[in-house]
Amino acid sequence: MDLKLSDEDLEFRARARAWLTRHVPKEPRPPYGEAAARFDREWQRKLYEHGFAGINWPREYGGLGLSAIQQVIWYEECARAGAPHYINTTYVGLMHAGPTLMACGTEAQKRYYLPRILSGEHLWCQGFSEPDAGSDLAALKTAGRIEGDELVVNGCKTWTTDARFADYQELLVRTTPGSQRHHGLTWVICDMKSPGISIHPIRTMLGDEHVNTVFYDEVRIPLANVVGEVGQGWKTALSTLAFERGTGFIGDQLALAERVRQAISLARRVRLESGELAIENADIAGRLALIKADTLAIRAMTLHQISEVASSGAPGPKGSIMKLMVTSTAKTLSHLVAELLGWEFLEYDYEGGRENQPWTYDYLWSWVYTIAGGTSEIQREIIADRLLELPRAR
Amino acid sequence: MYLDLDEGERAVSEGVAAFLAGEFPLQRLLHSSDSEALEAFAAQGWLGLAVPEELGGAGLSCVEEALFFMAHGREAGPFDLFPQMLALEVARHSPTLVAELLSAVHRVALWVATEGETARLVASAPPTVALRIEVQRVALWELKGKELSERTCLDRSVSFYLVPRAELRLLAEERCDLYLRAELALASMEVGIAQRALEMIVAYARQRHTFGRPIGAYQAVRHPCADMAVRVEAARCQLYYAACALREGHRDAATQVSAARVLARRAARDNTDLNIQLHGGLGVTEEYPAHLLLKRANLLARLPGGRSWEREALLQESA
Ligand SMILES: Cc1cc2nc3c(=O)[nH]c(=O)nc-3n(C[C@H](O)[C@H](O)[C@H](O)COP(=O)(O)OP(=O)(O)OC[C@H]3O[C@@H](n4cnc5c(N)ncnc54)[C@H](O)[C@@H]3O)c2cc1C
Repeated sequence: MDLKLSDEDLEFRARARAWLTRHVPKEPRPPYGEAAARFDREWQRKLYEHGFAGINWPREYGGLGLSAIQQVIWYEECARAGAPHYINTTYVGLMHAGPTLMACGTEAQKRYYLPRILSGEHLWCQGFSEPDAGSDLAALKTAGRIEGDELVVNGCKTWTTDARFADYQELLVRTTPGSQRHHGLTWVICDMKSPGISIHPIRTMLGDEHVNTVFYDEVRIPLANVVGEVGQGWKTALSTLAFERGTGFIGDQLALAERVRQAISLARRVRLESGELAIENADIAGRLALIKADTLAIRAMTLHQISEVASSGAPGPKGSIMKLMVTSTAKTLSHLVAELLGWEFLEYDYEGGRENQPWTYDYLWSWVYTIAGGTSEIQREIIADRLLELPRAR
Repeated sequence: MYLDLDEGERAVSEGVAAFLAGEFPLQRLLHSSDSEALEAFAAQGWLGLAVPEELGGAGLSCVEEALFFMAHGREAGPFDLFPQMLALEVARHSPTLVAELLSAVHRVALWVATEGETARLVASAPPTVALRIEVQRVALWELKGKELSERTCLDRSVSFYLVPRAELRLLAEERCDLYLRAELALASMEVGIAQRALEMIVAYARQRHTFGRPIGAYQAVRHPCADMAVRVEAARCQLYYAACALREGHRDAATQVSAARVLARRAARDNTDLNIQLHGGLGVTEEYPAHLLLKRANLLARLPGGRSWEREALLQESA
């Protein structure tokens, strides 16, 4: 093992740093809505045009064909430069729809969709969860009926993040009538402008409406849009979830380190009600030190995972370990900063969002973190089943 | 950049694991002492793992040493290897001393505290030399007199030896970053212990039935096991990173090693605790080895002794 970066890695870091210094937008991202989506598309287009989109995606699909290490370097430099947060409306396309197409899609699908994801032309959303199928995803009921060369979809998805701005959706439906659990499902690309789709926003405790319930009434989707095989959708979905949990968090993993740095310097400035500097309080210093250690470990785990994938080829169930580490550390950090900031933390302007009051926003977001993409409890189940091979609970 | 074991590293790791499992398995501590372990390791050449070849060692680095101590931790291996192997680093400038340490003619204890005029040492047999680890310096002290007062330790594989401070004579010292080597070795042993605790409970949870089901099917057992796995994975990856950073002389090596130590200590403490708890009554019996891991973890958590510096290293401005 070694930590040595190659000359190409170092050159890439220097190039990324120089470019980001010049191009990170000066104006803040609008917190919500259509304006936010427009901002995300524009930033993504800029990355694409300047050769910084899809760092480790294959060149033939518009990527740069660079290494996973360079992808890590890119996220580190983005965090350092204060570049737009990568969890935005481009997230699903870049972090799991694109990778799923690469793993399971047809050549035609890859050639059409992948470059458009990278250029910001297409935004994607994920239509997996339903009102009665969240943790237990295989209980999903939304039905797809095959008619000629089309799939006709009826039913309802919920918690669909950014459905209103998305052009396409990863849609998981039951295509074999009467099939049980993970049998008889199909993963299909759904055009969100199709007739028969209606979208109803859900207001969250963050004060925004980024998640939605989506209804499908006789929505017609060409069979050519099926990714993987008809009836084999569970296999494709597992691939999506592996990316979502395995590598989808990479930017956050690395951005967390920057937030911890900021929290430590905050602790050097603010005084507790007792009058002492927060950093001089043994309890706070101890907790901060542990959080710092956790974020260093998260980075080490990321590099270890990349090394393992490089020699074994696939992200395994260890993605669940990563998700638990990242989301629990983020939550612990949020609770600590909430104590440090005092009233400033509570005086919250809901319209301003992450740009204005990142600590309060991230505090609220930390529950999204531990619930969306598979709850912490479900991640523990996956670790127990697949990594520890304990007898099944379910 | 590659943060996983390569072939050579795997060979070291598996080699020492096999030797320990054969000669010094965890269960040995239920009935035998480690007082002759040093000689056995000396005979196999393990003591000189990180000693330069020209001094009679294998010339490997702190990375292999970390893997060695991880395997060691899994069996709560003979404690004396830790001060003995670190002493070899301090002795670098004296080939005679190196030879005496490599052959276990000199036996090194760890000097963990000074209480008034008395030095408190830890070892599994009466030592001839004491190793004191401080941030400023790591030093070897020769025991002049024979006046050793022996006390038993919670971890029964070792004893405390109380020696008048005045009877210790400075033999050799090293002022560079050797204390980081000590911290790294301690973190390695703790990761090994945490890993073993996880393996022990997972094996039991598959086989023990209550209410007609294996206990491993209950979430109140499964989920703490999953958390144990998370702690091991985090501490292990950070240990690898820290070992490389130390070997490659990175500026942030002290921060990285501190992180490894803090996480390894937490993993060892929490995992050895849960391992006993989730075993039920069997876990508190003397004949079952769960308590051996707990007791060793409790000893290691306090080492190397003296002021704790990890927090400062983690919170410093440039970290
Ligand atoms: C902000 C947000 C955005 C989201 N975005 C999307 C999206 O874009 N697309 C999408 O498809 N989905 C999305 N989701 C859905 C998300 O994946 C689900 O909310 C999640 O999987 C949990 O499902 P549920 O809400 O139905 O909770 P439930 O499954 O009803 O769970 C309730 C509680 O029970 C626990 N639980 C359930 N089963 C078990 C078990 N077997 N063992 C132990 N505990 C258990 C859970 O951990 C949880 O604490 C989003 C969710 C949120 C909150």
